[in-house]
Amino acid sequence: MLTFKQLKKTYGGRTVVDINNLNIREGETIGLVGNNGAGKTTLFRMLLDLIRPDSGEVLSKDQNVSENDHWKDYTASYLDEGFLIDYLTPEEYFTFIGSLHNLSVAHVADYLKQYEEFFNGEILNRGKYIRDFSKGNQNKIGIAAALMQKPELLVLDEPFANLDPTTQIRLKSLIKSLKSTHRLTTLISSHDLNHVTDVCDRIILLEKGLVIKDFHTDENSLKELEAYFSE
Amino acid sequence: MLSIFLNHQWKDFWRSRNKAGSIAAQILLGFFMLYFLAIAIVAGFGMAFFIGKAFPGQNVITVFNGFILYYSLFDLAVRTQMQELPTLSIVPYLHLNIPKKTIVNFLNIKSLFSFFNLLPLFIFIPFSVIKIGGTFGALTSLMYVLSIISLVIFNNYLVLYFKRKSINSFAYFIAIIGLVAALAALDYYQIISVRNASNFIFVTIAKYPFLALIFTLAAVLIFVINSKYLRENLYTEELSTKDEKKVSTDYAFLNRFGRVGELAALELKLILRHKRSRGSIFMGLAFLAYGFIFYKAPMIAKDEFGKMLFAAVFMTGISIISYGQFMFAWQSTHFDGLLVNKIDFKNFIKAKFLLFTISCTIITILASFYGFMSYKLLLLHLAAYLYNIGFATVIVLYFATLNYKRLDITKSASFNWQGVGATQWILGLPFILIPILIYVPFGIMNKPYYGLAAIALFGLITLLMRNFWINLLVKRFEKQRYKIAEGFRE
Repeated sequence: MLTFKQLKKTYGGRTVVDINNLNIREGETIGLVGNNGAGKTTLFRMLLDLIRPDSGEVLSKDQNVSENDHWKDYTASYLDEGFLIDYLTPEEYFTFIGSLHNLSVAHVADYLKQYEEFFNGEILNRGKYIRDFSKGNQNKIGIAAALMQKPELLVLDEPFANLDPTTQIRLKSLIKSLKSTHRLTTLISSHDLNHVTDVCDRIILLEKGLVIKDFHTDENSLKELEAYFSE
Repeated sequence: MLSIFLNHQWKDFWRSRNKAGSIAAQILLGFFMLYFLAIAIVAGFGMAFFIGKAFPGQNVITVFNGFILYYSLFDLAVRTQMQELPTLSIVPYLHLNIPKKTIVNFLNIKSLFSFFNLLPLFIFIPFSVIKIGGTFGALTSLMYVLSIISLVIFNNYLVLYFKRKSINSFAYFIAIIGLVAALAALDYYQIISVRNASNFIFVTIAKYPFLALIFTLAAVLIFVINSKYLRENLYTEELSTKDEKKVSTDYAFLNRFGRVGELAALELKLILRHKRSRGSIFMGLAFLAYGFIFYKAPMIAKDEFGKMLFAAVFMTGISIISYGQFMFAWQSTHFDGLLVNKIDFKNFIKAKFLLFTISCTIITILASFYGFMSYKLLLLHLAAYLYNIGFATVIVLYFATLNYKRLDITKSASFNWQGVGATQWILGLPFILIPILIYVPFGIMNKPYYGLAAIALFGLITLLMRNFWINLLVKRFEKQRYKIAEGFRE
């Protein structure tokens, strides 16, 4: 599904991302962990063609993401509030995102019904613009809008941050079920080792832009990660 | 305590975030302020002379008296739009052990540090001291000064009170501007005369100086009402603009343009839902009056279009220049989102063209009332219009790909220099010079109508080349987007 080749990015002489060769197969759920400054978000941004790599390339379905837009057809993402059009009401935003994928207003409304539980009655018909919602609820809007696009590849940056416990649990089961029903490939970054080891089947540990560890999760993964980070 | 607050404010001003990058802009703003102040001082000291020139044969003091209430009303109207509520700055103090009274006092005093409070003092006080004092004596002069200061303070707190009570300052603004216009019209047709009323009031004050205390009383009254309201409602939630229920909207007329229309509708919402962009619309409408300053009957009679070209291009293209100068940065908060989503950059650029064309057309139609002055102005506007939608749009969008500065669009537009960079300064040059350069040779040969035709033709040709421009701009945008996105993330 994804290949990162000799991918490098430096800012002011400091290497932020330096990945030699990394493959991600279809249907995998990848957890990206690492302390602040490890290069997680920069990696995501290069994957989404928001930052130009200094060298190397990101191939999505064997096509370089910076050379054409095909990857946008099957990729959905939510990194931060910068992805939301914050002066729209959530309904307007969902309709807009839906229209980009040729979903009618009725389709979108229909789709949103499944997420009533996820939204917990706090998102729709509140008579507010997105900018007036709390960070956690903005997160929910972004994630729901990403899922609505029926992606094959989903990229989420710290999706659990700012979410309330109920929603965290719901999100985890949502990702797990989409993986089994739609063979969804997911990339998640998180600081919460519990969640990552719970939901992901492969963990990639970054430090200063380098891949330090790359392994499939088993019952010892959490301990292993905790040991690594407490050193 | 108050001095500590003021000290913090002072630091806040000098250390504000967007400050470092825009020292030049600050200096320019300073120059503007000085310029206005200088005008005010000149107007103040030269008042007697100017009145004598403008209203020959009338009593200078009568004219001056008539002017005071007018100014006051106009001042009120401008303040409703431009004066800011000093509210948010108190948030960090509310939970501390500071009496509410102190905070209220601070808010009240802070609001006095406003340019609007300074200006009238310079305009009115010199005349009040020199002329009025010379004619009626020291006491009357003192009372004149007192009334003027009282009127300023009255306006200051009245506007703040209105603003705190209500959300929609724009409606108030329209209402008050309407009132001033109506009164002026009534004055003009000699039905009710504000000037006479104003004159009557001040003649009475000249006779019974202590009556001026009524103004002072009114000022104190509104001050007390305002303070009381503040003390009872000292919650940031209630002091800042109240939330009304937001509804989703759909612009059906844009739907016929498909994807492009969708993007244009998105941007239209952006414009209508943010303070800064709404402000630019308002300024655009205000610039419709530009022609009254620049179009002179002798020029029109002699077909001197070259001298009027600047005003015509600027007026009909105001939406393009005022909105376009910050182009792409309006969307800086969600620029990443636009790039990541399945939006064809071609449609993205086309939507901008569509918006520009629609707004420019509307403005040009509105400006057609100048046709009453002369039909020639309509020809001038038509040429300027074609140039604007044909080529000015291209210039603006080309410069937009060089603009990497994030824009905070939630703050009001007046005297706001945040997000202003080199591009905004340079942009104006080609925008205004190109039509003038096209016209000049024809102007020299004394063929003004050919000159207009040449501009119109240039506009038309560039308009027909729009697809070519779009492709060019898309290529440029694709190359520049990383840089733009990076700049907007800061």
